[in-house]
Amino acid sequence: MIDGVLIEKINTILAEEFEVDASIIKPEAPLMETLDLDSLDLVDMVVLIEHNFGFTVKAKDFVGIKSFEDFYQFINSRINGA
Amino acid sequence: MEPNESNKSWSGKSRGGTLGYLSFVFLIKNFGVGAAYSLLSFVVIYYIPFAPKATSAIWKYSRKILKKGRLTSLKFLYMNFFRLGQSIIDRVAVGAGKYNEFVFDFSEPDNVKKVLNSSEGVVIIGAHFGNWEIGSPFFDKYSKEMMVVMMDYEYQNIKKILEAQKKIDTFGVIPITENSFSYLFEIRDALSKGKYIAIQGDRLSKSEKHLDMMFMGSMAAFPLGPFVLATRLNAPVVFYFAVRTGYKRYKFEFTMAGDYSGEPHKKKEVALMKDYVTTLERVVGEYPEQWYNYYNFWNI
Repeated sequence: MIDGVLIEKINTILAEEFEVDASIIKPEAPLMETLDLDSLDLVDMVVLIEHNFGFTVKAKDFVGIKSFEDFYQFINSRINGA
Repeated sequence: MEPNESNKSWSGKSRGGTLGYLSFVFLIKNFGVGAAYSLLSFVVIYYIPFAPKATSAIWKYSRKILKKGRLTSLKFLYMNFFRLGQSIIDRVAVGAGKYNEFVFDFSEPDNVKKVLNSSEGVVIIGAHFGNWEIGSPFFDKYSKEMMVVMMDYEYQNIKKILEAQKKIDTFGVIPITENSFSYLFEIRDALSKGKYIAIQGDRLSKSEKHLDMMFMGSMAAFPLGPFVLATRLNAPVVFYFAVRTGYKRYKFEFTMAGDYSGEPHKKKEVALMKDYVTTLERVVGEYPEQWYNYYNFWNI
């Protein structure tokens, strides 16, 4: 079970960084398409994760992340060492 | 300077096959660069009609950007192709161990030396101008590994040539492949290990994000990628160009880029790009015939 506060924090950070309305961020929505991300934006995403959550991201970490739910799971597992 | 969707870009294909390249290698190794230059003077004549895209690009560059007349432009066109050929020949000669035959001058300010000698990673931004690669062996003096970022199809071409020559190059390569982001992580990891990341800041690939900048008196599209990477990864940036200044003589020119970390988010890369374009404009203005972007760079 992921903490609602963490989800809120992730959504706020993503909405601010990628300049989208936070209301369009739904757990089942596709991450890349919803945030309109391309490879250059991914640089921002990596920096953002490392800066806000304090762990290092590797290329393989992004494999399998399709939706916001996947992204929440990924952040949560890394923070809690799961 | 907003991104637009124009179609001016490099197709990704380079002229000249491996066999032609290896013929020149044979000539250089056995008869010297002078013999290779002589053969080149004839080969260039073939390229003018049979490389129409490149010919058209340089003709327009000469006529519309440099404002040269028709006859002068014809001579300029020949010299541009000839200089490109010379730069490849010289690069092969240096790579084959003939570097003692060449003179290399360094224009390297103290702040650049300090950064290149430090333990941190550095982003080195160059251009398809002059003879960038001829200087790569000299980066050894800083005892740091150089990783060159290039499109995967460029890398495959180079690999074929290196394998044919049974030669290992003086730099590593981080290939950019479509639909994969792994190169971003490789770049970041290399920087964190204190390596140099070399990347060209002038050539646009299809569908790449870009900004239009005033360059040599007209608007031209520059790729955002190198500048976004450099500013987001917080690495110091050095602009580097190697120009041919005479017979077997080169000058390596280094310029320290400004520190744009205080700029607002997403303005940093624009500031860095402006800095780069200003520097590039200065060196291209001095050596205009060493400009080797063979597509409609200015969309003119």
